[in-house]
Amino acid sequence: MKFRNSLLFTYLLIVLLAILLLPILFPLLSIALNTVLLGDDEPNMYRNGVWLEQMWHQEARQLAGADDEAISRRLTELKEKYEQASVFWVDAQGKTRLALPKDLGIPDQWTPSYTIQFMKEHYDADPFTTVAFIGNSRDKGFMVFQVDRSVIQTSSEQLSEKRDHLFIVVALVILCLFLFISWIFIYRLRKRLLGLEVAMTSPTENGIPKSIEVNNPDEIGRLEQAFNAMIRQLELGRKREQEEEQLRRQLIANLSHDLRTPLTSIRSHAYSLKQENLSEQGMQSVELIDHKIGYLAELIDNLLSYTLLSAGKYPYRPEPTDMVRLLRTILAHWYPAFERKGFTVELELPESAVVCRVDPMWIERILDNLLQNVLRHARTGRYLSVRLEPEGGQAAIRLEDRGPGMNGKSLNQGAGIGLTIVQLMLKEMQLKWEVKSDCGGTRMAIAGLRLNEI
Amino acid sequence: MLNKRILYIEDDADIGAWVKEDLSRRGYAVNWLTSGDRAAQYAEAADLVILDVMLPGLDGFTVGQRLKKTAPHLPILMLSARTAVDDKLQGLQFADDYLTKPFHPDELAARVEVLLRRYGSAASQALQLGHITVDIGGNLIIDSRSGEEIALTGKQLQIFMYLLKHANRILTKEQIYEAVWGEPYIEGDKTLNVHIRHLREKIELDPSVPVLIETIRGIGYRVKL
Repeated sequence: MKFRNSLLFTYLLIVLLAILLLPILFPLLSIALNTVLLGDDEPNMYRNGVWLEQMWHQEARQLAGADDEAISRRLTELKEKYEQASVFWVDAQGKTRLALPKDLGIPDQWTPSYTIQFMKEHYDADPFTTVAFIGNSRDKGFMVFQVDRSVIQTSSEQLSEKRDHLFIVVALVILCLFLFISWIFIYRLRKRLLGLEVAMTSPTENGIPKSIEVNNPDEIGRLEQAFNAMIRQLELGRKREQEEEQLRRQLIANLSHDLRTPLTSIRSHAYSLKQENLSEQGMQSVELIDHKIGYLAELIDNLLSYTLLSAGKYPYRPEPTDMVRLLRTILAHWYPAFERKGFTVELELPESAVVCRVDPMWIERILDNLLQNVLRHARTGRYLSVRLEPEGGQAAIRLEDRGPGMNGKSLNQGAGIGLTIVQLMLKEMQLKWEVKSDCGGTRMAIAGLRLNEI
Repeated sequence: MLNKRILYIEDDADIGAWVKEDLSRRGYAVNWLTSGDRAAQYAEAADLVILDVMLPGLDGFTVGQRLKKTAPHLPILMLSARTAVDDKLQGLQFADDYLTKPFHPDELAARVEVLLRRYGSAASQALQLGHITVDIGGNLIIDSRSGEEIALTGKQLQIFMYLLKHANRILTKEQIYEAVWGEPYIEGDKTLNVHIRHLREKIELDPSVPVLIETIRGIGYRVKL
């Protein structure tokens, strides 16, 4: 990753801009504003007292040698130019000759004392007053220019106020711009991080999140790339797992096939042998072979089931199932086998449906194993009772036989794996498994079947 | 009687030869193929197909499903050497019956017979059941002592024929009810019991001690041949 592309770089840029530019910015702004404002404005006629005084004295000098009428005309012109000012002139005899406007409150005839008082009163006072002798000599009288100081002040103050105002506005705009830029920066960071979070926590149907599009090559972009790489790894892993599962299933199917095919062959030949004229002992041997073949086949089945189960490859898919119907179907299937061995089979089911949330395949498998066990090990009792008992919100399946019990020697003949499978499955189904066994028989119960709420 | 023709598909030479011989001895005409590739060709001339699941090339499931499509009325019996957890359901979805290896030859013969009867190939046969004779094809039940026909209502006949088609098997109340009435059985419904009672009054010698239709307590009914 290039440093120029990094988030750190962007962040530093914003901070540097803020730190370095702001202090320079204000003076710069100030200068810029001054130039702009001054350059734009017309020259102010009342810009300051010194300037007005100079202007007035110059005008007076220019009136050297002019007659009274010319002086009055010039003053009228000046009054027209400086509208807000008052002008008048007094001749050498102390007579007020022209006063504009007329009601200035000055006497028509100036006495020396009034003149002194006037000068004293108006020196450095408001209104601003400047007095100039007309012409170069002092025998022509003097002319006076008066203007409210507020006029002079306002103009300069207005200018500075306008400048200050603009300065604040522009400064605020610039500050806001900085704030906006940093907000945009953080906002985009946040948005991308949240987007990443959403992508990570919303898995697709196969349980793995989708990979995301990487747009920026910065830190988050790298994070996104790493995330995508992880997703690829996961997908690969999942695929490999599926392949392995497929392989395992195939292997088990093949193994089962390879083991059962010769057993079928053996059984068929044993059957052929039985058709021959055999001695009673020979017949018994053939029967035994046949019996053992059946047992071996069952063992293979259990072994393979166990492999699948313990590897978690035999999925449990619960669905609303009527236990009454299921038990009846399973018992209908098993009944002939028990009948052949002379068993009395009692099936007690409730009158109405008992719907539980279970996987019927699993229940069937469990009962197959249990019934097979009863058939093999409780032959002497010749009795089997199967009951389905709803108790509160639950149901229990109870099996009872009158065999020699599980502690009897019959157990040693390989009941192990079948019951282990039953236990494994019941544990997975979160069902209780109760066994009471004595020499009078065995009572087993599968309890805790939750009724399906309708 | 014409020999029933069985198409038998099995790749294991030892088992194949033996089963063919055994079934032939039981009076069936067996056509044995070692692969399912040309099964469809021979299926037309067969009354029943026995199909092994594991075959070279096309596996038994595929062959069976194809056959079911081309000939829906041809019964298929699957032979599997696989374990029950694996593909029991998948196999049963289209197959009419299912037998796991190592099967017993008598068991195979019994299943074949039941399947053939269920699919009506054995229909021309008149069945003797205790004191009555049943003509399955003609839906006729005759008291063989007097030679008179026993008249049954439609539902009674349907129930009896269904039991006969699946003879030697225990049929649950649910199975019978749903097959005959064509609607889901509601647990606790007594309709079937009533019909069976009336049926027995007509065909049993002593309806209080039924022998033709056996009650398997708590499970269902069975007709033994």
